[in-house]
Amino acid sequence: MPKIIKNGEIVENTYVWQQDVEAVATENAIVPMQKWLDNQDSIGKVAGIWIDAGEGVEPLAGVDISQFDVIGVNFPTFMDGRGFSYARLLRERLNYQGEIRALGAFMADQQGYLIRCGFNSFEFAEDVNLDIALTLNKPFSVAYQGDVADPRPIFLRRG
Amino acid sequence: MYQYDAIDQQLVEERVAQFRDQTRRYLNKELKEEEFLPLRLQNGLYVQRYAPMLRIAIPYGMVSSTQLRLLADITRRYDRGYGHFSTRQNLQLNWPKLEDVPDILAELATVQMHAVQTSGNCIRNTTTDQYAGVISDEVADPRPYCELIRQWSTFHPEFAFLPRKFKIAVCATDSADRAATQVHDIGLHIKKNDAGEIGFKVIVGGGLGRTPMVGETISEFIPRSDLLTYLDAIIRVYNQQGRRDNKYKARIKILVKALGIEEFRKRVDAEWEHLRGTESTVPMSEFDRLASFFTEPAYEALEDQPAELAAKIAESNGFARWYERNTFEHKKPGYRIVTLSLKKPGIAPGDATADQMEKAANLADQYSFGELRVSHEQNLVLADVRQDQLIELWEAAKENGFATPTLGLLTDMICCPGGDYCGLANAKSIPIAEQIQETFDNLDYLFDIGEVDLNISGCMNACGHHHVGNIGILGVDKKGEEFYQVSLGGASGHDASIGKILGPSFAQEQIGGVIQKIIGVYVSQRTEEERFIDTFRRIGIAPFKEAAYAKDN
Repeated sequence: MPKIIKNGEIVENTYVWQQDVEAVATENAIVPMQKWLDNQDSIGKVAGIWIDAGEGVEPLAGVDISQFDVIGVNFPTFMDGRGFSYARLLRERLNYQGEIRALGAFMADQQGYLIRCGFNSFEFAEDVNLDIALTLNKPFSVAYQGDVADPRPIFLRRG
Repeated sequence: MYQYDAIDQQLVEERVAQFRDQTRRYLNKELKEEEFLPLRLQNGLYVQRYAPMLRIAIPYGMVSSTQLRLLADITRRYDRGYGHFSTRQNLQLNWPKLEDVPDILAELATVQMHAVQTSGNCIRNTTTDQYAGVISDEVADPRPYCELIRQWSTFHPEFAFLPRKFKIAVCATDSADRAATQVHDIGLHIKKNDAGEIGFKVIVGGGLGRTPMVGETISEFIPRSDLLTYLDAIIRVYNQQGRRDNKYKARIKILVKALGIEEFRKRVDAEWEHLRGTESTVPMSEFDRLASFFTEPAYEALEDQPAELAAKIAESNGFARWYERNTFEHKKPGYRIVTLSLKKPGIAPGDATADQMEKAANLADQYSFGELRVSHEQNLVLADVRQDQLIELWEAAKENGFATPTLGLLTDMICCPGGDYCGLANAKSIPIAEQIQETFDNLDYLFDIGEVDLNISGCMNACGHHHVGNIGILGVDKKGEEFYQVSLGGASGHDASIGKILGPSFAQEQIGGVIQKIIGVYVSQRTEEERFIDTFRRIGIAPFKEAAYAKDN
C-alpha cells in the first residue's frame, strides 16, 4: 500500500483517491466533491470528498462536512495556489476539524505553507522520496501572519 | 529605519538555510528544473541570457550605509563589481554564480537583508516615495505602513502561488505620486478622514506589461487598523478567481477589468465581511512600535538658504543647475534632499559600481545620518543634507559621477537592463539610452526642454515602464531584427495615463533623430508654462506623428 505523510509521520494510506467520477464509491474512497453533492442521498458512506482547483468551497455551504473523515484538495500543478485558500476557508470559515489532504502535483517544498493553511496530510506523486519530503514537512519556526494554528499575527505575539 | 529583532533575524536565517538546501538538492538533481524554478524565483534568482540574475530586496528603498557597503563588497566578490538599481527600488546583480547564491544570502542576512519575494507569483517588495518622511506635505510618513505590509506579505502562507506577481506601492502626498502607485496591482494613498484618522484610499488593478492599465479606486477610505484584513480580502478573491490559463491575462487588472470595479468591489467586500475585525486588525500599539523606527534624526536648528549657498548659486552655473534639478525642498529649515544621479552619460541608467556604492555610503555617513534611499527613477537619495554642506557634497558627487544635473529631465531615463542581460528581452535598451544621451548632450537645451519622463523597455514585460513615460520606447523583434516602438503621453503620477503608440516602429539608429523631432514639435508648440506632457495633452498626437514620420530632405 502506498504511503502518505500525515501529521508529521510517514503512514499507510488507508483511503483511495478516486479521480474517476465513474468509479464505484467505497467506504474508503475520497470522491469528487461535485459527485458527492449530486448523489449525496444514494452514494452511501465514503471517507470524504476532494475539491478540484476552480471549484472553491462555496458549494459546501449548508453541508455538514463534519461527516467527512477527510477532505482532499487537488493541485493540478504546483503553481496553482488556489488550494491554499480552500484549506484556510475549510478550517477558518467552515470550521472543519478533520483531515485536509493535499493531492496532486504539489511540491514537498510547499509543505510549510500548506501546513500553515490547514493541510495535515500529503499524498505525494509516486516518484517522490517520502523520507526527503518528511524533512520538509514543517513551516519556519516563526511567522509574521496569523494562520490556522495561531490566528494571531506577530504584532499580537511579540513580547 | 527599521531594525530587526530576534524574530525578524531568525526568519531570514531560516530562509537562507532553506534556500541552501533547495540549491543543494537542485545541484544534486533531487529537484527538477521546473520545481526549482518557482523556489529560486521566490528568492529573486532568475536564470538569464548569460548568467543568473539575483534581485536583492531593498524594502521601500531604505538602505543604510552599512548595508550599501556590504552590497558593494558582494558585487566585488561574487559579481563583476557593479549592480543595477531597479524601478522597484531593488538591487540586481547580473553575474552571480548559482551555487554562490546561498552564501550571498547568508552575508545579506548579517546586515538584515534578503532577496525574499523579489520575483515569483507572490507579493513583491512594497515600494514608496523616496522622499518619505522628509517632505512637508505628506499626510503621514508612509514607511511604518510599508514595513507593516512588508511583514504581512513576507512568507504569507496563502499567497505564495498567486496567478501572477503582485506589486503594492504606497504614496502619502497629494502633491506628487513618486511611486507610480496607479500602475501597481494595489496602490495605497495615505489619507486622513474628517475625524483626523489615518487610512488608505485603495486603488486596484493597475499595471504595465502587455495590457497596461491605470488602476481603479476600490475604496476611498480604509481605516489603517483594517488595512491588512482588507488586503487579505482583495488577494484572496484574486487568488481564487484570477485567470491561470494564460500568464498574460493573469494579473489582477484583467480580473478587475473583466468583472468591472463594482462587481469586484462587491466580491472583496463579501470576503472582507468575514475578515474584518479578526486578529489581523492592527492595534495602535503596533503602529506606535513601527513609527518608533522612523523618528526624526537629530536635526539641528538651522537657517534656510545660508548666505554661502545663495552666493554659490549666483556665482556657479554648474552648481545652480545641480541645485535646481537634483535637490528638493526638505521639511526642516536649513536642510535639503539630494539625489545622487545614476544617469551619467555612457553608463546604463541605474547602474552603480562597487566603488560608487562605497562612496555613496561614505557620503551618507558624512552628510545624511548614514541612510540612503533608492528611487523609482533608479537614483540614490540622501534625504537629510544640511544646506551649508551642499557645496561640499556637490564637489564630492561630481568626483564620483553622481552629479549629472538632469533629475526629471529628458536624459534622466528609466531603462531596463534589456537584451544586453535579460533573457526575456526582444531588444537591447541600454544602447538606446546611450544614443539619446549622446543626442541630447547639450545641458542648456536639456534645461530648456524641461521635465520629460522618457522610459525604455526591451520587451512587452515593460520593466522600463515605457507605457507611463511621457515618451516611451519599447524594443520589438521584427524577424530577428531589433526595432523600437515609440509612444507618447504616458504619465505615472497622480495624473497617470497610458501612452499612445506613435506609429510604425523605428530602426535602432533612427531613435535619436526621432526623439529630436518629437522634442522639436514640443518646443515650437509649447506655451510658456507647459511641460512636454501638458503640450501633448493639449495638441494631441497628430503633430508629433507628422514630424516623426516626415521624410528627411
